[in-house]
Amino acid sequence: MATVVRARPLVAQAQSTALNIIDTDVHERAEMHALLPYLAPEWRKYITDFGWQPERLLPFAQFATGGLDRQDAKLPDGRPGGSDLSLLRSQLLDEYDIDYAVLTGWLDASALHPGWSEFKTALMSAYNDWQLETWVEREPRLLGSVHVNAHDPVGAAREIDRIGSHPKMMQVVLYFGDKAFGDPYYHPIFEAAVRNNLPVGMHHSENSPTALGFHRYFIEWHTLVPQVFMSEMVSLIFNGVFDKYPELKVIMIEGGTTYVPHLMSRADQQYKELRSEVPWVKRMPSDIIREHFRFATQPTEEMSAKQFLAMIDAVGSEDLFCFSTDYPHWDFDSPVEALPAGLPESLQRKIFYQNAQNLYPKMPALKPR
Amino acid sequence: MKQVVCHKDDLGPGQMTGAQLGPIRVVVIRAKDGSLHALAAKCLHQGGPLDQGRLYDHTLTTDDVGRYAMDADREIIKCPWHGYEYDIRTGATVFDETRCLQTFATREEGDQITVELEPPGAAAASA
Repeated sequence: MATVVRARPLVAQAQSTALNIIDTDVHERAEMHALLPYLAPEWRKYITDFGWQPERLLPFAQFATGGLDRQDAKLPDGRPGGSDLSLLRSQLLDEYDIDYAVLTGWLDASALHPGWSEFKTALMSAYNDWQLETWVEREPRLLGSVHVNAHDPVGAAREIDRIGSHPKMMQVVLYFGDKAFGDPYYHPIFEAAVRNNLPVGMHHSENSPTALGFHRYFIEWHTLVPQVFMSEMVSLIFNGVFDKYPELKVIMIEGGTTYVPHLMSRADQQYKELRSEVPWVKRMPSDIIREHFRFATQPTEEMSAKQFLAMIDAVGSEDLFCFSTDYPHWDFDSPVEALPAGLPESLQRKIFYQNAQNLYPKMPALKPR
Repeated sequence: MKQVVCHKDDLGPGQMTGAQLGPIRVVVIRAKDGSLHALAAKCLHQGGPLDQGRLYDHTLTTDDVGRYAMDADREIIKCPWHGYEYDIRTGATVFDETRCLQTFATREEGDQITVELEPPGAAAASA
């Protein structure tokens, strides 16, 4: 068993000067009533009078001191982490001298039940306008994501066309529950993303089951989160999404990194044996993954530099991983502690900012440090 | 080294048969157009017995999810174990043309089909 030596990587040696940092996963949180001014009038009563809330299928209490959040990220008045811009600034942007952080939100209809699509499509429009006004336009370091209701692909594409050209909207974000988004039914979303020159960020949710449902304990579910990321990737690859939209880029957010080499190897082997079932897939899955997918690093697993570099070798590219904190969640990754010490500086630069710069066409220029 | 495989009438179009060429197991195939082809019968993956596999038309790549198209002029042999597919004319896997089974010269000689292990390069010249 290799000894893991914990020491700060280069980014921490002088927090404000060593390396630029782009954080590819930061969660802002909405209170439902805050969305009312942005919501079409015909929908407001469902929140004001009938108390609509998004369903949460995960049957566990979050077994962490702050529940879903870091304990210290929750507000004294009881609001959840990610509810207050000044606290987010002090705990994340200023504390770690983050250049830019991509907001990935909370409320996302794509992970909810497909029913009542009209309401949820309207709700996503309201959420996007609220996100821009409340967060993105008030803090230059915050960048936005276009939330859509994937179960209404035409409405989702319309929303991407409506708001996707905003200069600080970095991506379309698709949270997933138990629906595989490679199905051609959802392709108008990817078409709209490409049309607007936006990558797609895919993020699991509390409504994402494991392969066997939700198990008995939270620790089981959380251990198996990478399963559903693999499910979505396999769905996109073998349903020919990247053959159909060769410009499309997708970043998988909050699934970690260590499942990637396994999936590459497994999918390649299946392609060798079964490719005639999916003749619209024209390349090895690992080649598709290297060209089209990126992966936000959180939640990292403790590894030595040797182990981390072996993973880089296994995926065959230094360009796949983009640093993320997942602030304010309980399993937040610290920019100064999460990656193993001793990684080459060139690789750290790629992970901390260059890979994200290359992924997001509208990423603002960074000030050299 | 040359080996008689079978009587020419015992191998019709779209059929194949195994033969032993010294130490090498060979699969001899008569394509739908009547041409003869011989490949090493040991799959490059894990050694599956290709002479017990199946012949199919090649599945063409298509541009639409859910649409299938077959190439009746390109036949493949599919391994009976894990399903690796090989072009019967070249021995190449369909997913990587650089990975090829060894091929052998095969022909009708009188009433017989023969297969022959020829010096390197000679098989291609006689094809």
